[in-house]
Amino acid sequence: MNRGLILDPTSHRSDDISDPGPDLESLAGKVIGFRVDELWRSWDWVSEIWGQMLERDGATVKFWRARGRTGEVGAHVIEELDAFTDTLDAAVVGLANCGSCTSWTIHDALWAAKKSIPTVAVATDHFEELAGNLSRRGGRSGLRLHILPYPLDIRQKAEVHDIARDHYRSFLRTLGVRDRLAVQPAA
Amino acid sequence: MEQGWGDGLPLIPPTEGRVRMHLKMSGRFPDEVVATLLPLRTECTVEKIAINAVMAGAPAESMPLLIAAVEAMAEPKFELQSLNATTGSVVPALIVNGPIRHQLKIPFATGCLGGVAGPAPAIGRALRLLIRNVAGQVIDVTSQSTYGTPGRVSGIVFGEWEEKSPWAPLGERLGVKGNAVTAYGAMGTANICDMIGNTADHFLQMIGKSLAYPGANGFLPSSQWSETLVAINPVWAEVIGKAFPNIEDVQQKIFDYAAIPIDFLDPVYREPIDRCGRLRADGRVHLIQKPEEVFVMVAGGMGGLHCAMLHSWGTCLTTTKPVRMPA
Repeated sequence: MNRGLILDPTSHRSDDISDPGPDLESLAGKVIGFRVDELWRSWDWVSEIWGQMLERDGATVKFWRARGRTGEVGAHVIEELDAFTDTLDAAVVGLANCGSCTSWTIHDALWAAKKSIPTVAVATDHFEELAGNLSRRGGRSGLRLHILPYPLDIRQKAEVHDIARDHYRSFLRTLGVRDRLAVQPAA
Repeated sequence: MEQGWGDGLPLIPPTEGRVRMHLKMSGRFPDEVVATLLPLRTECTVEKIAINAVMAGAPAESMPLLIAAVEAMAEPKFELQSLNATTGSVVPALIVNGPIRHQLKIPFATGCLGGVAGPAPAIGRALRLLIRNVAGQVIDVTSQSTYGTPGRVSGIVFGEWEEKSPWAPLGERLGVKGNAVTAYGAMGTANICDMIGNTADHFLQMIGKSLAYPGANGFLPSSQWSETLVAINPVWAEVIGKAFPNIEDVQQKIFDYAAIPIDFLDPVYREPIDRCGRLRADGRVHLIQKPEEVFVMVAGGMGGLHCAMLHSWGTCLTTTKPVRMPA
């Protein structure tokens, strides 16, 4: 049988940061920023509950809403993202709940993480694998992910608020909060 | 195939000899980086394009077109990263203008969107393999496309029948005269049939109203853009061109007709549409946000009667690049 050499059609990148980055440690006095979007009301509902609970526990909370990603608007949105993440002690970025919005969530989370602030990307269960794959391909496999149930967007507001409360402490642990707030039973 | 390099169809082994011929026809250095492709953020070299072109069966002569197509898809405004990840069924459609249509036998007349025996499917497939092997789009790994589309196997590659068009070629209107390739984020192709109308207004009305189905991505409040591509058959184009020699008037007509009354939608959809300013004073919602987002071209057979509409995904902005032939 004749054997011949064939050439590799693929390209790979080998750089990777597997470290999740710094922990937030504690909440008191910290500025925590939520990146929300124009797609998911359910993520607005989760982030408003988490925001209230974080403020109750001593943090200051800020919100920034991502918009279009292309053209002049897209360039402006990146400038806003950059300025927003400059003001934060920690970033919470969501919601990875579809294909394209997962790519943008991971993009924006990687943007925050490269500034060495504790960063969590929030995904729903069905899109966890995609989020992980995109963060690995983005060069940071260690990006922190917090996973919410799927489907989330077809649930009613009260139910989503309950899910947010149920997830709060595990979300704090994902963020690297190590004090009693992250481990004590929910109030 | 075991390496995960393929699409399931048989592949031509990319031997050094075969790849060398493709590289020669490119007129470029093998290690020249054409673009960085997302989501993998890998460098796409001329050699990688040649290897995938060989595997797909694309002719060596198509290398300049393939290189230009990669450049177009890699433009930041084309948003390849999210296009490759989305649950949507979007695929970059490539529209070819200029004399290269004839040299490469790119179809623009009867059966131009599929079925013509020629190199277009292999050229499209080469780009799809590049997106898989270099950009890294793999279903259930980096792509969550709920349905996908047949165009994700062999691409959508067709030309404009410039010789039958009453208007300037699409590529020229988008900034590139002569040999050009336009990358457009298409949600597949769909048909509009009219066997009754016989005036320009009839045809434009049927096109516009057919475009405006409520589930089109362009109606999503979150869609940044609503670009829409319409390939008008040469029979209708002649009628429309006589009534509207300026393409801007054709775009305006289609824009005007491609709208639905807000009352047609359930109230749950009305509030977000209103919030983003898409509801017009006349109580209608337009599929397309501005007339310039209507891309009109002439293609299809002389049998007429049908028109092809290619809705866009709503995030990518169409890009056109010159196809540079080797000296």
